[in-house]
Amino acid sequence: MIEAEGLTKRYGKLVAVDHVSFSVQPGEIVGLLGPNGAGKTTTMRMLTGFMPPSEGTARVVGHDIIEDSMAARRAIGYMPERIPIYPDMTVRGYIAFWARLRGIRRPAGHVEAVLKRVDLYDRRDTLIRQLSKGMRQRLGLAQALVHEPEVVILDEPTIGIDPQQVIEVRESVRELGRKHAVLFSTHILTEAEQVCDRVLIINKGHIVAEGDPGELRQQLEPGTQLYVVIGGASADQAAALLSAIPGVISVEVQGEGFNVSTQAGTDIRGAVFAQVSAAGYSLLEIRAVASTLEDIFLNLVSRDSQAEGV
Amino acid sequence: MGTWIVLRRELSQYFTSLFAYVIAFAILLLTGILFNRELTVSMTVRPANPALVPSVLSFMLIFFAPLLTMRLFAEEKREGTLELLLTAPVQESGIVFGKFLGAWSYYTIVLLLTFTYQFILASITPTDIGHAFSAYIGIWLYGGAMLAIGIFFSALTENQIVASFLSMITLLILWLGDQAGLLIANIEVARFVRNLSLQGNFSTSFAAGLVRGEDIAFFAGVIIVMLYVTIHVVESNRWR
Repeated sequence: MIEAEGLTKRYGKLVAVDHVSFSVQPGEIVGLLGPNGAGKTTTMRMLTGFMPPSEGTARVVGHDIIEDSMAARRAIGYMPERIPIYPDMTVRGYIAFWARLRGIRRPAGHVEAVLKRVDLYDRRDTLIRQLSKGMRQRLGLAQALVHEPEVVILDEPTIGIDPQQVIEVRESVRELGRKHAVLFSTHILTEAEQVCDRVLIINKGHIVAEGDPGELRQQLEPGTQLYVVIGGASADQAAALLSAIPGVISVEVQGEGFNVSTQAGTDIRGAVFAQVSAAGYSLLEIRAVASTLEDIFLNLVSRDSQAEGV
Repeated sequence: MGTWIVLRRELSQYFTSLFAYVIAFAILLLTGILFNRELTVSMTVRPANPALVPSVLSFMLIFFAPLLTMRLFAEEKREGTLELLLTAPVQESGIVFGKFLGAWSYYTIVLLLTFTYQFILASITPTDIGHAFSAYIGIWLYGGAMLAIGIFFSALTENQIVASFLSMITLLILWLGDQAGLLIANIEVARFVRNLSLQGNFSTSFAAGLVRGEDIAFFAGVIIVMLYVTIHVVESNRWR
């Protein structure tokens, strides 16, 4: 559905996206994962026809984005990072406008269907300025879907909304994967893991890793971190006790407890519990700390530079 | 196709926006007051001027036309809808024409409302309807040119106030060009400058009951050039 070949975008000397190639198959959800400024939005903007690539091209449902831009644009539903709104239009008027622009002559049926799909049908006559942030997010999704595009491109669809709504949006993205080819960007690792069939990790304009999200995480995570709080012991006693457990790499004080880093693939939770109770202290809290994307990138980047012999 | 869809949205935007009604109200109120004064004058001093309302508008629109156009692109940029418009399967020219025609249609409707003054005048005193028509055709084109200039400035910035300020200044300068003769000693240069001003192609021709091809060509030319430049300004958003 999407085949990108050597997509490149230069701003003067700065290369925002550097020869990026990838593909998205029908019915597949592909996540574009990367820190801010990695080139996610620029890549999407080239695919949607908003900006022409400096080099390379892409085909969307077989239509070249440069040679056959209009046909490619018709096949895409796009939700930019900041939801574009016309504050003075009604929900229905807004969706109908985008449907017409994308070539649907009598949009009423499409509008009704898509508003039911994103659960905004009850709000169809509300002015957009009166919608909450979460509803605007769903409105953004509705405009991207109203013309039933084969490809859906979503730029950071979960940014700036509350956790309950994040879950709803993730569910609707997963739902989309059944009918459409979906490309969506995020900087949250767990989100990519939950939602995508395949992840492309992008950093500084390059795709640095690609694959099944679970596998990628295992490959890239620098070990596991636990947060442990121990009662009845002084900080020094507790630190000494934790450091003595096999598999522990480092122990750092954090708040009233400790951040314990362990080697990859070892599970020390049982050992922690046994040691703490054997010493007569009480284990008040123990939980896994998910490694952040930054950790993974550090790992990835350091491995890259090792490989290059830098 | 894109033009028509954008035009429809813009026009309905005017009719659902309080601000547009306030502008229409202000135009009708001000021209109404001046028309009544003219009626009073016509009873004693001299016959009423059939081109009164268009002549008054030629100055008033310097301030009102930018208010109608400042929103058109500046708001799309600020709200991020321009990005979505530029990824829709329509040409930039369709978007620009649609917005221009939307603004011009709204202006045309307000202008037609002021035409009621002509009926009132005609019912009171014998009047030169041809003269009135000529002035109305003139101010209709004049308004179109002003709106095209306003659209250009709206496309330049995402700040509506900056857009309207820049268009007002520009329109004021183009209006003052009519008086180039007072400032420039060389008569040929002065005539040339005046011919390039908006008012210079209106005050002594359309407003005097004279419909001349060169004036129509001038206003049409301003509209075409400004829209052409605007299309390229809008297109340039893709390169940033």
